[in-house]
Amino acid sequence: MSQKGLEAQRNYPLHKKVREFFWGGWCMQTNWNYERQMNTAFMWGISNTLDRLYPEPEEDEKKKERYRASLEFFNITPQFGAFVLGLTAAMEEEYAEKPDTFDPKMITSVKTALMGPLSGVGDSLFQGTVRIIAMSIGISLAQQGSILGPILAMLISFAVSFPITWFGAKLGYTKGQELIRQISESNLMDKLMYGCSVAGLMVVGGMAATLVNVTTPLTYGKTLVVQEILDGIMPKMLPLALTGLMYYLVKKGVHPIVIVIACFVVGIILNYFGILAAA
Amino acid sequence: MLFKAIIVGLIAVFARIDSRMLGRLNFERPLITCTLVGLFLGDVKVGLLVGAQMEMVSLGFMSIGASGFDMNMGSIAGCALVILTGAKIETALAIATPMTLLITLIETAASVVRISMTHMIDNYVDKSEYKKAKLVDIFWGPMLYAVCTFVPVFMAVYLGADVINAIVNAVPQFVLDGITLGANLVAFFGFAMLLSVMINKKNAIFFFFGFAIAAYSGLSLTAIAIISIIMAVLFYQIKYGDGSLQLSSNGQADDYDELEDDLDD
Repeated sequence: MSQKGLEAQRNYPLHKKVREFFWGGWCMQTNWNYERQMNTAFMWGISNTLDRLYPEPEEDEKKKERYRASLEFFNITPQFGAFVLGLTAAMEEEYAEKPDTFDPKMITSVKTALMGPLSGVGDSLFQGTVRIIAMSIGISLAQQGSILGPILAMLISFAVSFPITWFGAKLGYTKGQELIRQISESNLMDKLMYGCSVAGLMVVGGMAATLVNVTTPLTYGKTLVVQEILDGIMPKMLPLALTGLMYYLVKKGVHPIVIVIACFVVGIILNYFGILAAA
Repeated sequence: MLFKAIIVGLIAVFARIDSRMLGRLNFERPLITCTLVGLFLGDVKVGLLVGAQMEMVSLGFMSIGASGFDMNMGSIAGCALVILTGAKIETALAIATPMTLLITLIETAASVVRISMTHMIDNYVDKSEYKKAKLVDIFWGPMLYAVCTFVPVFMAVYLGADVINAIVNAVPQFVLDGITLGANLVAFFGFAMLLSVMINKKNAIFFFFGFAIAAYSGLSLTAIAIISIIMAVLFYQIKYGDGSLQLSSNGQADDYDELEDDLDD
């Protein structure tokens, strides 16, 4: 039936297909909505594949079915979205080739199964590790008045984001299913998470100790300077304690806006009474 | 002033589009956007300093899914107003915070519109009008984000300078100092948010490791970043590598498998 479409899809140059998945990944949040999150962007990313696979007017019912399937709930770290798009396109091709034996539910279930683990690794890698390392380096340079700071921060970000999206798209399309099997057999996700968490957590620890400082101007008489006592026990004790306190509040599920407003109110009060000061 | 406000508004739109159509490349971060604002308004030095300051406060903030709470747009307006009014760098924080709340409100309203846009796309697909469905996603989606970003940032910069001058003159110094302290507290909240995503009982030690190195050595964050990457590779090899670095295996099953492999060889 859809022999013509299948041929068109197979003859379409690989790098052009990869380019579609690449931009589909980067444009993953164009219409972020509370109902199905990144669903319409996923549809946009896979749409050209579907258009090629089902070109004839009499195939419209099938095409509509696939479009609807692409509009189901979806969420992913954008850079990894390209991988999922490539993999989905490969499966759509398989379904168009063997509509009687290939169960299209498989496409949805693979998509759904990938969302959680890929987003977990993706957010840790891009936002939790690459971003904070790039920005930490950028901040140190910018504080010295060097424009190299922001430039370097962007170069680092780009150098990680671009190849992962591009080769993710290519791998997803050319050997996605095989890759998924290998990944689950080799625990690659867990390993990646582990590496990211070591680097990310160490940098966050370093950030807590260096980025911002809070000290106490409290004194009793002339000899007892509280900050000196604290420094004697351990340097940067107050920042560590404050990070711990905030962690407790985050874990309690206090709303971010409440915490931010409270920070400023408490900040003004504690500063006025000379209990804490920004240093 | 009109022209400058438009430029700053467009920088904000670019920053918003970064996470929408460039896979969040980090152009949206205050360090980058404030530098751009500085470049276009003719004071790169202040732009860099405000950018570094705002970046420090908000570095921990993670935008995962719905919780779109970030200070990125507020930082842009804050930086522009600091440059235009010649106010102190700390003032940027005092401007960015209410701006952030305002933009979060606008975004919440826009998210309701986006649900109906999603339904529009459903309807177009039902009617086999695929081109229109795609257009809503790739054009009107980002357009809505752009408008919801441009308008508040433009208005703040266009109308804000006089207001900011009046406020800065009226507000006593202790309040401004208190806001700086508050901003530092917000930074710790950011670190805590990052931690809550990554930390568990087994890896918590690495947070304290990084903290201890930085606190006792006084090394810069760049140095810590490089050390942490080396440590990540090292510990990865200890845990998963097959070389001599491997310490004891976690489970007995692993030991058993290795023995089996050896026997097969």
